[in-house]
Amino acid sequence: MTNSMNEAIEALGAFQPTIEVIDEREIKVSVSPDKVISTLELLKSLGYSHLSLLTCIDWIDDNQFELVYILFSWKDGGKFIVSTRIDRNNPRFVTVKEIWPVARFYEREIHEFFGVKFIGNDDMRPLFLELWDDKPPLRKDFDPLEYSKKKFPGREYRKDVLGEAKKIFRGEING
Amino acid sequence: MGETKLFFGPNHPGMHGNFSVHMYVEGDIVKRARPVPGFLHRGFEKLMERRYWYSNISLIPRICVPEPDINEICYAMAVEKIAKLEVPERAQWIRMIVLELARIANHIWSVGGIGGPLGLYTASYWGVADRDRILDIFEALTGARIYHMYIIIGGVRKNMTPKIEDMIWKTLDYIESRLPDYENLIFKNRIVHSRLKGRLILTQEQALEMGVTGVGIRATGVEYDIRKVDPYLFYDKVEFEVPTATDGDAFSRLYLKFKEILQSIKIVRQALERMPQSDKVNVSLGKGSGLRRVVPRGMAYAHVESTRGEYGFFVVSDGKNKPYRVAVRGASYPQGLYGIEKYLPGTRIEDVPIWLATMDVCAPEIDR
Repeated sequence: MTNSMNEAIEALGAFQPTIEVIDEREIKVSVSPDKVISTLELLKSLGYSHLSLLTCIDWIDDNQFELVYILFSWKDGGKFIVSTRIDRNNPRFVTVKEIWPVARFYEREIHEFFGVKFIGNDDMRPLFLELWDDKPPLRKDFDPLEYSKKKFPGREYRKDVLGEAKKIFRGEING
Repeated sequence: MGETKLFFGPNHPGMHGNFSVHMYVEGDIVKRARPVPGFLHRGFEKLMERRYWYSNISLIPRICVPEPDINEICYAMAVEKIAKLEVPERAQWIRMIVLELARIANHIWSVGGIGGPLGLYTASYWGVADRDRILDIFEALTGARIYHMYIIIGGVRKNMTPKIEDMIWKTLDYIESRLPDYENLIFKNRIVHSRLKGRLILTQEQALEMGVTGVGIRATGVEYDIRKVDPYLFYDKVEFEVPTATDGDAFSRLYLKFKEILQSIKIVRQALERMPQSDKVNVSLGKGSGLRRVVPRGMAYAHVESTRGEYGFFVVSDGKNKPYRVAVRGASYPQGLYGIEKYLPGTRIEDVPIWLATMDVCAPEIDR
């Protein structure tokens, strides 16, 4: 672990994070939702100023969403994975677009694919999907096959690909 | 005169891929610009949750066509980090060679590709033709020209033969001999100078605020390269420079790409010289249903320096034989979405394709 990473961990002590070392230059820090913004601001001031990625994980068994912020330092190459868990039934969280303006688009994406609302980010229009009328598609309980069947009822699904391949192999039909 | 709404893309000769920019223009000045991605969305992240760890290798190169290998390496590195797999040394060197060859191929294509929006078509044809020589190497090495599926979890699929090494040496010599021609055709050309020099200047503060990586930030004088700052594979064991410029304009971004070709050639030559001889190039999958192997619980983020900047994969495993969640960080996400909205207002219509070309906005990695 680099020196500045050790210093950052020490400074983070006040937020009572759960720390998990993944790699010599990669650390996962889990904090409670109310401490995320201060954690991110502190890490940014310590040199971890580049937001590599902002994403979400659907832990359906725990009925929670995990928001993940990946911060990177251009000084020593250290990475911090800051994560927090929020309630899945009423997914709302504070925006970080004031800290990283580009986060606006990541938040829009998460809203579209997971349904998490970001308070303070007024631009929650769909970014990628057009005329989407089902539950957010990256949630674990969304079934693409069911959706396709409902949306395109005339289409044939679950073709016997393996059986057909065997027939071609045996020379019964011309592939 | 009032505002007019103009659609630039997805079907436009100056547009790079299936991407659209809605511009509100007054005269030829862009007043507002709105990026419209989504023409290419194939739901890769969801698809990957429904496939085995090892089968995903054949899916992800499709995310980015000009430089598909970065997907394989990011995914493989993240999974290796979670599963704590030790990759054989020769495989690491081969990975480096493949990555740098892909980098050269993309840079040549993109430097030549500036001919598209500028009407300098000779450059585009040269770019495509010279890139083809590298695709020949890939075909010999992996069996495929574009989607290689060569870098797998735990190493590379098969060994590199002396014949292919020979082929790489010759191709590198050829590419190097072509570089002065490119310099004469593109970088000493008056059209290129008048369209690119002093245009679309991105300052250092703006680049840092936007989170732009790659040539976008290096053109503002900052030496930020993941291969140097956070070295993966053996990038800390080879000598190469990170070219920078101070102007921050479109011309210096394009010229940096051109300069990086030479650095990549240097890296590949060193790798070919220092690569140890060995037959072991991957971690054996074991007998039976090796493909359905499980990966222990955990999460990891792996990133590499692609030609467009930082490219990364965030992978989560819940201890089963399929990934629980995979998130892709597209390198052109900041400049392709936030950059367009924030930066393009105030510029002229003709500058929009130049921004997309010199910033290398790659639609499929934004959409995924």
